[in-house]
Amino acid sequence: MRQAGIYSGMMWGKKPCPNSLPLSRIKKIMKQSGEDVKMISCEAPLVFAKACELFIQQLTVRSYKVSVQAKKRTLQKDDIVTAVKATEVFDFLVEMVTASNADDCMKTTRERT
Amino acid sequence: MFKIIKEMLPPDVRVARDTQDLLVECCVEFINLVSSEANDVCNREDKRTIAPEHVLKALEVLGFGEYIEEVAAAYEQHKLETLDSPKGVRFSGIEMTEEEAAAEQQRMFAEARARMNNGVAPQKEPEPDRSFDSQNVDHV
Repeated sequence: MRQAGIYSGMMWGKKPCPNSLPLSRIKKIMKQSGEDVKMISCEAPLVFAKACELFIQQLTVRSYKVSVQAKKRTLQKDDIVTAVKATEVFDFLVEMVTASNADDCMKTTRERT
Repeated sequence: MFKIIKEMLPPDVRVARDTQDLLVECCVEFINLVSSEANDVCNREDKRTIAPEHVLKALEVLGFGEYIEEVAAAYEQHKLETLDSPKGVRFSGIEMTEEEAAAEQQRMFAEARARMNNGVAPQKEPEPDRSFDSQNVDHV
C-alpha cells in the first residue's frame, strides 16, 4: 500500500496558475494543427498559454474600443469582427470571424421567417 | 478564459455569450497558426521536439513580436519556480541521499504492511542522526 502525501508532494510540487488556460486543451490543438506535428516539449504549452492570454487581451481591448465608439455596453460579435478587420496581425482571423458572423445572421433571418 | 476577458473590461461591460465563444474560436485559430509556424521553425532547425524557443520565433515571424518579451519573462519565471520546487520541503526540510530515501521507502512499506496485518500503527524507532518528526516505528 503506497503512502500518499509525502511523495506526491515531492512529485507534484507545482501549483497551477489561477487564471491560466488549460494546457491539455492547448496541447491537443497543437497536435491537430498539422499532419506532421513533431513532439511537443512540456514547456511549449505553457508558453502558448501566456501568448494566448496576451492575444485575447489585445483582441478584447480592441473590440471594447469599437463597442465604446458605438456607445454600447455589451461587447458583441460585430465589435470583434470590426477589431479583427482593423488590425493587420489579425488578418488570419478575418475569414473565420466573417463566416461566423454571417452564419449567425442567416440563423437570425431563418428564425424570424 | 472568460475570467481573462472580464478582467480586461470595466465591470459594467457585458460580454454576449456568442461573443465569448467567438473569442475562444479566435484563440484556437491563433494556436493553430502559431503551432504550424513553430513546427516549421522546428523542422528548419532539424529538431524533433517543439521547444519554447521555436514558439517565440514563430510569434516573431507572424508579427506578434510585442508578445515575445512578456512570454519570455513568464517562461523564465516558470523555469525559476520549477527549479525552486525540488529544493522545497521534503520530509519536513530534510535532505536525503538515494540510499536513505530507499531505506525510508522500505520503512514506510513495512509500516503499511504492519497496519494491514495488525490493524495497529506500529511505533517508530528514534534515529539519532536524523531529525524526523517525533513518531516511533518498529522495523519489521
